Amino acid sequence: MKFKFALAWALGAASLGGPVLAHGVVLEHRQLSSVEVAAQFETGEPMANAQVLVYAPDNPSEPWQQGNTDDQGRFSFVPDTTLVGNWEVMVRQAGHGAIATIPIGAATGGEATNLALEAEAEPSPESLISPSTTLSPVQRGITIGSVIWGFIGTALFFARGKR
Amino acid sequence: MHIPDGILSAQVCAAGYAVTGLATWYSLRQINRRPDPTAEIPKASLLTAAFFVASSIYIPVPPASVHLILNGLLGVVLGYFAFPAILIGLFFQALVIGHGGLTTLGVNAAMMGIPALLAYHMFQTRHTVGQLLKEPARTGVFAFLGGALGLGIAALIFLALIILNIPAQLDAGAEQTAVLALSIGHVPLAIIEGVFTAMLVLFLRRAKPELLEG
Repeated sequence: MKFKFALAWALGAASLGGPVLAHGVVLEHRQLSSVEVAAQFETGEPMANAQVLVYAPDNPSEPWQQGNTDDQGRFSFVPDTTLVGNWEVMVRQAGHGAIATIPIGAATGGEATNLALEAEAEPSPESLISPSTTLSPVQRGITIGSVIWGFIGTALFFARGKR
Repeated sequence: MHIPDGILSAQVCAAGYAVTGLATWYSLRQINRRPDPTAEIPKASLLTAAFFVASSIYIPVPPASVHLILNGLLGVVLGYFAFPAILIGLFFQALVIGHGGLTTLGVNAAMMGIPALLAYHMFQTRHTVGQLLKEPARTGVFAFLGGALGLGIAALIFLALIILNIPAQLDAGAEQTAVLALSIGHVPLAIIEGVFTAMLVLFLRRAKPELLEG
């Protein structure tokens, strides 16, 4: 009898569970995978307080989210993982800017949580600045050197005077 | 101050190429009229190299930083050779160091090249307006004005182009403030480039005065 009472009390207490109530504070949490972009100028200086426009893959003309980068040039957003495709993030400040394409979700079409994890697993350290240069520093140095030598060579060729 | 790809609409880029085409044609025609059109090529190629490198020299102007452009200097020293020199320099900057872009090459060349030609004419007025000043102060002052003006007008064109082409979704007010701040940042740079131009021209005047006759 005593045992039955104890069981009923325990069940009752358990049914009261759910969110932990402590002075009326409800604390819920869920895991989201967010995308963080960091914008900086070529000098390495962060693009602070630049405007950010996020475009979802289903609507490339209307911004899905708008915001500003922080002092470190960072901005993060949580993409809707049901919208699979290439998300575009545009960062603009004073006529400087770039557009980054971030693929969210794979073509497998699995569960949303899996897609989210995949998106998070990809660190994608893609640079938002000067997407046109993909040369390594050595290649770049050689190219810059030959371009400058081209100019100097031209100068020497025409400066050699008439023979 | 180069405008990268993806900032301006296709129409503006096409218009930029049209203006650059016209200005290049006009400059080459003026060069061809000289008794010896190839005589200035060594000077032009060396200054093209200097222009190409100048954009990687950054000068901190709080809150951002600006880089040397030297378009006014090219105009003062090269005359009509300045436009093709700037066009070639910008082409290599876009290609090699990712400064500016190929779609905006026309706009950038017009933005920096036409002020260079104005700087050249500014410098040439030293023979007429500048008679009140004595040499070498006259050459120095007009070289400074040319160097500073070339960059100043380019910065104003940049300001106008960006403000007139803000995409509708952007917060126009914030973007305008940012562009304005950047343009104001070019005022000290204009003074630096003016002083630099004056120093170079005064040096050339002493060392090789025939180089300034063009």
